[in-house]
Amino acid sequence: MATAFKVEPAEPVLSVQGLTTSFRVSGDWHAAVRDVSFDLAHNETLALVGESGCGKSMTALSIMGLVPKPAGRITAGRIMFEGSDLVSLDREAMRRIRGNRISMIFQEPMTSLNPVLTVGFQVAEALRYHRAMGGAEADRAALDLLEQVKIPSAARRFKDYPHQFSGGMRQRVMIAIALACRPQVLLADEPTTALDVTIQAEVLALLAELKQAYGMSMVFITHNLGVVAAIADRVAVMYAGEIVEVAAVRELFRRPRHPYTELLLRSIPRVDRHVSHLETIEGQVPSIAAMPAGCRFAPRCPLREARCDAPPPLAGAAHHVVRCWVRSEGGGHG
Amino acid sequence: MSRAAAIGRRRGFSHALGELLRAFNTNVTSWIGLGIFLTIVLLAILAPVLAPYDPLEQNIVARLKGPSEQFWFGTDVYGRDILSRLLYGARVSLIIGTTATLIAMVVGSAIGILSGYVGGRVDLAIMQLMDVLMSFPTLIMGLMIVAVLGASMGNLIFAIALTAIAPFARIARAPTIAIKQRDYIEACRALGYSDLRIMAVHILPNVMAEIMVMGSLWLATSIRVEASLSFIGLGLKPPTPSWGGMVREGFEVILDNAWLSIFPSLAILLIIFALNMLGDGLRDAVDPKLRGGE
Ligand SMILES: Nc1ncnc2c1ncn2[C@@H]1O[C@H](COP(=O)(O)OP(=O)(O)OP(=O)(O)O)[C@@H](O)[C@H]1O
Ligand SMILES: [Mg+2]
Repeated sequence: MATAFKVEPAEPVLSVQGLTTSFRVSGDWHAAVRDVSFDLAHNETLALVGESGCGKSMTALSIMGLVPKPAGRITAGRIMFEGSDLVSLDREAMRRIRGNRISMIFQEPMTSLNPVLTVGFQVAEALRYHRAMGGAEADRAALDLLEQVKIPSAARRFKDYPHQFSGGMRQRVMIAIALACRPQVLLADEPTTALDVTIQAEVLALLAELKQAYGMSMVFITHNLGVVAAIADRVAVMYAGEIVEVAAVRELFRRPRHPYTELLLRSIPRVDRHVSHLETIEGQVPSIAAMPAGCRFAPRCPLREARCDAPPPLAGAAHHVVRCWVRSEGGGHG
Repeated sequence: MSRAAAIGRRRGFSHALGELLRAFNTNVTSWIGLGIFLTIVLLAILAPVLAPYDPLEQNIVARLKGPSEQFWFGTDVYGRDILSRLLYGARVSLIIGTTATLIAMVVGSAIGILSGYVGGRVDLAIMQLMDVLMSFPTLIMGLMIVAVLGASMGNLIFAIALTAIAPFARIARAPTIAIKQRDYIEACRALGYSDLRIMAVHILPNVMAEIMVMGSLWLATSIRVEASLSFIGLGLKPPTPSWGGMVREGFEVILDNAWLSIFPSLAILLIIFALNMLGDGLRDAVDPKLRGGE
């Protein structure tokens, strides 16, 4: 009896193993996501951070089986979820998982709802589709969901159209739709980036609350480390399609090891700093067709050495791994 | 307000139509067009009640009578009352025109949305086929089909519908190509919705307004083509009254008894005029960018 409620610690809800997603650029396939691996524990929030173009969205879309065809495809790796490998699942089976067992919300609340369908209809639709609920039952459940995501006077607004809602309210509706079928995993791709700061905080709080209430796991994509501190348990930093550092959120903020992570942390705008002191990272993420042969960050790295001409492995103790020749030895930095 | 009452059914179509009607409201010519059209529809429906005579009943004594108190619009060569024939003829025009337009609307929109949504080679092939269909003038196409298959009501409808499919496919395809790139369609995919559901529930309501505009304009064309086919003798067989057929019959005696042709001609003109007013108004209501287009 005592063990009946014990959660198996070793069993991840989602396990991404060696995921490589490539795009065809002028005839050749290039990896936009390369050898990405991570486990997502039950009820855990993993933040995926990195600059624009580093492959965060593509990682999430790969999990969803939504890599844009025919330009892109998953070229290697496994995505284990509920006992099956999503990469090799057929279209029909994948469709039953999307929006049902794994959901995704996007950055643009203003355009992610169909303008000619009522908000209530769009929430109920997910339930009718995946749960085969009847019209009235789905509507009742949809109204409950709208109340759960704290749409004020949800009953009165059930038949309103998206344009009658503000950006923050629309993102709440998107969350209600994504969570309608109580998914195991929510992939949130910069869900608060398009919102102003106060609304952003509200939506983050709501996501955290619902994650707890539903017992789901979340992959939270953002390039904003301030948001990471507010919501994540663990952080994976991505650079140029690769994971370069993974650690628990406090560990990463206190003892960042990859030089890229350090630079990212220093570029967080803070109230106690003047805007003029805000650091930006020099240079750009290399394009997927022109990746350096060695460490992908080397061209922009202040710590660059000769050995960085060879690709570094992801190394370190299990709770904190880093992909850097200079920093992977000797533990922390001084 | 009770929760149950708050939740009602409201679908995309009603929204699309609602939007259309709202914009339509301010447009006087549309209302005049709609008024005239609905009046003609009503007259056609009430023909058995309103018609003073049996449209088929011949009356040798009253041949080729001019308009009078007894026969408002006069009589034809067989002494049949022209007003009664006009009222019944409206039914033929409306049934053939409306059915053909509806078929073309449904089939054409489905083809257009599918083609635009699937894209690639399938789209290319379908659109080339549509171009071939479009290259036949409506009347020529109708002529060929009726000449080969015979002039039954079904064949007339088929012939007219076939020529109207391509324009509906085109009008539905263009916005579909734009809409399928929208974030909310990507969101639908992320929800696992099937392609069929995405097309029927999420794209169709977005292109409904354009289809409706096209529908009213093509209704006018269908009625005109039916009248033209009847005029050249490829319409429904006599003695069934049809407006085009009546113009044809009157044509033989036009120099002495012009009213035989004039009244059905005016009827054809009036309904086409009304439907074009309606369609133009709807088009302006739907999208100012479409004004003066095509
Ligand atoms: N259709 C495509 N064709 C070719 N390359 C693509 C395509 N889509 C994405 N990529 C490549 O994949 C890389 C990763 O893109 P992704 O959208 O995952 O970045 P991201 O980290 O989500 O950035 P952002 O913060 O801007 O959303 C990009 O650098 C881009 O070069
Ligand atoms: Mg992205």
